[in-house]
Amino acid sequence: MELRDIIVLVKASLNPEIVRQNPNGSYDIEYTPLKISDIDRNALEEAVKLKSILGGKVYAISVLTWGPLKTRDKDLRLAIQEALAKVADEAYVVADDSVTPTDQVIVSNIIATLIKAKGLRPALVLAGEASIDESTSQVPARVASKLGYSYVGYVRKIIDIKNGKIIVERDLEEYTEILESPLPAVLSVTQEINEPRPPTLIQIRMASKKPVHYVSLKDLGLEFKMKRTIMDMRVLTITRKQVVIEEANVEKAVDRLLEYLEKEGVLRI
Amino acid sequence: MQNIIVVSQKPSDLGELIAIARRLGEPLILAFQESAVSINEITGYGHKVYRLNSDRPEALYYAIKSLYDSLKPKLIIGPTTKNVKDALSLFAGLYDIPLATDVSSIEDRGDEVIYKRGFLSERVIMTASVRKPAILLVKPKIVSPAEKIGKSDVIDLEVTAGDVKLLERKPKVLSGIKLEDADIVVGVGRGFKSREDLKLALELANLLGGQVGGTRPIAADYKWLPEDAWIGISGKRIAPKLYIAIGISGAPQHMSGVSDSKIIVAINKDKSAPIFKLSDYGIVNDLYKVLPILISRLKARASQK
Ligand SMILES: Cc1cc2nc3c(=O)[nH]c(=O)nc-3n(C[C@H](O)[C@H](O)[C@H](O)COP(=O)(O)OP(=O)(O)OC[C@H]3O[C@@H](n4cnc5c(N)ncnc54)[C@H](O)[C@@H]3O)c2cc1C
Repeated sequence: MELRDIIVLVKASLNPEIVRQNPNGSYDIEYTPLKISDIDRNALEEAVKLKSILGGKVYAISVLTWGPLKTRDKDLRLAIQEALAKVADEAYVVADDSVTPTDQVIVSNIIATLIKAKGLRPALVLAGEASIDESTSQVPARVASKLGYSYVGYVRKIIDIKNGKIIVERDLEEYTEILESPLPAVLSVTQEINEPRPPTLIQIRMASKKPVHYVSLKDLGLEFKMKRTIMDMRVLTITRKQVVIEEANVEKAVDRLLEYLEKEGVLRI
Repeated sequence: MQNIIVVSQKPSDLGELIAIARRLGEPLILAFQESAVSINEITGYGHKVYRLNSDRPEALYYAIKSLYDSLKPKLIIGPTTKNVKDALSLFAGLYDIPLATDVSSIEDRGDEVIYKRGFLSERVIMTASVRKPAILLVKPKIVSPAEKIGKSDVIDLEVTAGDVKLLERKPKVLSGIKLEDADIVVGVGRGFKSREDLKLALELANLLGGQVGGTRPIAADYKWLPEDAWIGISGKRIAPKLYIAIGISGAPQHMSGVSDSKIIVAINKDKSAPIFKLSDYGIVNDLYKVLPILISRLKARASQK
C-alpha cells in the first residue's frame, strides 16, 4: 500500500516576545501565553501542498510542554485549531500535567508511541526546524529515530515526491544539498520553505467540526521518570537607554543622534 | 576518569571544546570533516582522535553511535551547529539520551550534570540538571581555548551514510567578512524595499568604518546579502561597539544576536516597533529620509577632519 498520509507536529510554545520577571528576578512563566511556534506554520503550509499531491489525510499532533493544563488549555486549543483550520483533518493531543514541564526525551517518546498506537502510517512527518521557546531543534530527529523512519532536517525546499521517495534541498551552514530520502521520512522545515498564509474565516469555522482526540499517557501505556529537572529560569535584564527621537525635522533628528553617539564615544569620524 | 567524547566540526572550534572537556574528564576527539582539513590541527591536543572523512550529518550519526557503543562515554560535548545538532539529535533519540544546545556553563555532579542555557531567544537563562549520559552542545567563546600539549594517535572510522542519498552539494556564496570581529555593524531589515537600496546601508557602513549585516529574511529568504551576514539566534552572534538597526522590527530571534552590542541605534518608521525598547537611541522616521541626511552629515564630518 502506498503511503499517503501526513503528520504535522505542532507546538504551543512560550511566546518569547512576552517575557516578564517576578520580583526576585525569576522568569514569570505563568504570565507568558503560549502560541503556535512560528515555523510550525511553515510546516502546515507545506502540508497543504503535499496533501494535494499525495491525496491522503493530514493529522496534527501536539504535546503540551508547559502546564498546568487548566491555565494553558485555551492557548493549546488555539494552536490546534490553527492546524485544523489550515490543513489537518484530525488532531491528537497529549496534555498531561504529570509530565509538564516536559523534556525532549519524553515528548519524542510520546509522539512516536502515539503514532504507533493509533495505527498511523504516514508518508511524511513534518515539523518546524526549531520551536520559539527552547529552540533546540531535536524533537523531529528523535521521533525519526524512535520510529525507524528516515530523517532530513532543515529542509528549505521540497523538489519532488514520488515512487516512495522524496527529493529535498537541505540547508546547512556552509552549503545546501539535494538529498533523496526513502519514505516514510521525518522532515524539519525552515522558515524560507514557503510564505505561510493565515487560514481563512471559512477554514476557521470548518475547523471546529473536525475531531480532536485527547489521549492520556495511561491510554498509551506510558509512564516516565524525568531525565531533566529545570532548577531555575532567570530573566536576563539588559537595560537600554531607550532614547527615542520623535523629531519630525529629519536634519534635527540626525544631529541629535550624532550628538548622542559622539558622547558615547562610538563614532570614529 | 570518565570518557568525554568531543565532537569537532571545525579545527578552529576545537580548542574551546577541549578546554571544557578537560575539566570534566578524559577527552576523546571525534573529528568529522572533509579530508581537505589537515589532521595536524587536531592531533596537537594529545588526546586520541577518531577521524571521520565526511562532514555529512548522516555519517556523523553512525560514527557517534559506534564510538558510544564501544566507549560508553558519560558526556558528549560539541558545538551548536546544524550538522552536529542534526546528527546528535538522531543519535540521542536512539538511546533516549538528554541533549541541550547553546549551553553556556557545565557543572559535573557525579551521576548528574548541571548546565545553563539561553532560553526564549536568550531572554531567559535556564539552569537544568540531567542524568548522565548526556549530550551538551555549547555556545562559542564561553572559555578560552586549550593549549596544544603534544601528539596523539589517529584512528580512522569507516561508516555507512545510511539511506538518505546525497545527490548534489552546492557551497553557499559567502562574503568571508567576519561580522563578529567588526566594531561597527549596520543591520538591514525588511524596511528596505529593494536590494538596490542596500547601497545606502553600505555607504553608511563605509563612512563609519563598519560592516553590513542583516535579518534572516534579508539574507536567507531574499538573498540580498550573503548568509554569513545573517545576524541572530540562527545566524551570527555579534558584539560591536555600535549596532545600527535600520528597518528592523526587533524580533527576539534577531535581537539575541546583537544583545552584547555596547550601543544599539534603531531607525524605524513605526513608533510602536519593539526595537525601540531594545535600543539606546532611536529615530522614528522613514529610513529613506533619514539615511541620505545621516550620510551627508557624516561626509561633512569626514571632510572637516
Ligand atoms: C526559530 C526562529 C529563528 C529565527 N532566527 C532568526 C535570526 O537568526 N535572525 C533574524 O533576523 N531573524 C530570525 N527569525 C525571524 C524573526 O522572527 C523575524 O521574522 C525577523 O527578524 C524579522 O526581520 P525584519 O526585522 O527585517 O522584518 P520585519 O519584522 O518585517 O520588520 C521590518 C521593519 O521595518 C520597518 N520599516 C518598514 N519600512 C520602513 C521604512 N521605509 N523606514 C523605516 N522603517 C521601515 C517596519 O516598521 C518594521 O518594523 C527567526 C524566527 C524563528 C521562528
